Amino acid sequence: MSQATILSVRDLRVELRSRRGSFVLTADALDLCARETLVILGPNGSGKSTLMRVLAGLERPVGGKVTSAATGPVTMVFQRPAPLAGSVVHNVRVAFLGKKRSGAELRDRIDEALARFQIDHLAQHRAATLSGGELRRLALARAFALRPAVLLLDEPFAGLDAEGQAALSLDLRRAISDTGVAVAMVTHDLRRAMLIADRIAVLIDGRLAQVGRRDDVIEKPSTPEIARVVGMTNLVQGVVVKERRGDCALVEIDARHRIATRTGLAPGTRVWVGIRPEYLKVDVGRGDVDPIGKGVVREVVNDGVAITVQLDWAGTELRTYLMAGRGLARTLRAGVPVSLSASPEHVHLIPVASNGSAAASDASRRAL
Amino acid sequence: MNPPSIGLLIEITARTLAVCLPALVISLAVGLPIGIAVGRRRFAGRGALVSLINTGMGAPPVVVGLLVYLALERNGPFGNLAWLYSGQAMILAQLLIALPLVVGITLAAVGSLDEDWELQVRTLGVPPRWRLWLLVREIRLSLLAAVITALGGILSEVGAVQMVGGNIEGETRVLTTAILMYTQMGEFEHALGSAAVLIGLMLVLTGLLTAVQQSGRA
Repeated sequence: MSQATILSVRDLRVELRSRRGSFVLTADALDLCARETLVILGPNGSGKSTLMRVLAGLERPVGGKVTSAATGPVTMVFQRPAPLAGSVVHNVRVAFLGKKRSGAELRDRIDEALARFQIDHLAQHRAATLSGGELRRLALARAFALRPAVLLLDEPFAGLDAEGQAALSLDLRRAISDTGVAVAMVTHDLRRAMLIADRIAVLIDGRLAQVGRRDDVIEKPSTPEIARVVGMTNLVQGVVVKERRGDCALVEIDARHRIATRTGLAPGTRVWVGIRPEYLKVDVGRGDVDPIGKGVVREVVNDGVAITVQLDWAGTELRTYLMAGRGLARTLRAGVPVSLSASPEHVHLIPVASNGSAAASDASRRAL
Repeated sequence: MNPPSIGLLIEITARTLAVCLPALVISLAVGLPIGIAVGRRRFAGRGALVSLINTGMGAPPVVVGLLVYLALERNGPFGNLAWLYSGQAMILAQLLIALPLVVGITLAAVGSLDEDWELQVRTLGVPPRWRLWLLVREIRLSLLAAVITALGGILSEVGAVQMVGGNIEGETRVLTTAILMYTQMGEFEHALGSAAVLIGLMLVLTGLLTAVQQSGRA
């Protein structure tokens, strides 16, 4: 990363105890660079919000350290924004309490922030009367009004309907791009993550499992657990065989199913084969030039925008997406036989070790 | 017995205010910080303390009066102060009645704020004294409720002030003890006159506070 590191985590260990039990969060190394957006993904309970609170200085680690080189404010937007009593303008103005600003500058900043998140028409409304989506916009407007060097976002789209999420994520992306603020955002929504992430960090069970550039993590997860978090839901075990198909290696799933890949691993290696749903192609004819075999449609789910197709293949359930209302999407039905294919460069291999957990740990260290 | 003159009524009313208002002011000065501190912080024994405060909110005033009496009587631990049957003893008794009300309502108001409220304000870089100002502003309606409740409690209180004040004419007689005395003497006209003044006083004071409270909702 060519940009300077603005927030740095080293050998972090956080221990939280509650009536429900204890929780430990560890992270060997995590950096946030200037002008970049780092998205922290992970299942519920993996420690995402805890990590965000540590970065904000709200939780004290028992080990390791968080170093900030930020020259401006480091601020955070919480998962459930709590409005203060008073107007929307008052809620933004609060951020400037104890900071010397001229009245004109204050007005300009507040007006700009409210307009940026399209709530300027609500300026004099009582914050307590705003909808959930408007409250999120208010919290973001307040944070951006401060012109922070680092912005920490904890699930900024949680609880919003699909339309609200889409609109807010676009406004947020524009605001980040316009201001150049460094952002660390926690979410479990992969689509929103993809929209704004430069880099992605994955937390699994309180452990920082993989960090890397967005496309690297999305397309080359280092463990099956990470693969599931980043949406690589098509996972099946196989063995790398000696035979090759052109310049591609072959992975044998069973006697009748082989998959070509450009990932180089020694023959005999047991692997998880991962194919992102968007890279798995279906055809009712002969199929593509990179076939992986015949499958049968199990279920077709149409949400009006995209169609999710569940398929049976080699005793495994696979998934692919189609655009609703177009081509094949109009004709696929449950029980229809289809040809499946995937381009070898989109077939990712994850080695399976005899000790699964050790393999995952090794892979994570390599990724870090 | 002669009916109480207007001058006497004014004197009793003035003494009532002279006893109640210091008790109210001290209970607010002491109770608000305690209520805010207990409401904001988590510490060992907090549950027991909150339980004690809640018990204090419902404590019978006559029991409070008894305890103050025992503390101030000649052989009591504070007997050397010679406060028994004085205005100070009445203020002390009323303070002990009002304090749990102020603390309890304040800490309930702080506790009703969103769990992350303070953290959210902290991450905006708001300095501590401004955070405290914001907190008070945030719970101001509840604080006014605390003032109204405490004022109502001590203005209408009779058992404790009778016990520690003694209802001495010209010294410790206040509206409630006067009403009690006139009633016991069968002077219902005088009792009703004093009661009307007390009710009027409560209406005016709580009405003013309620007006302030409701204007804060805007």
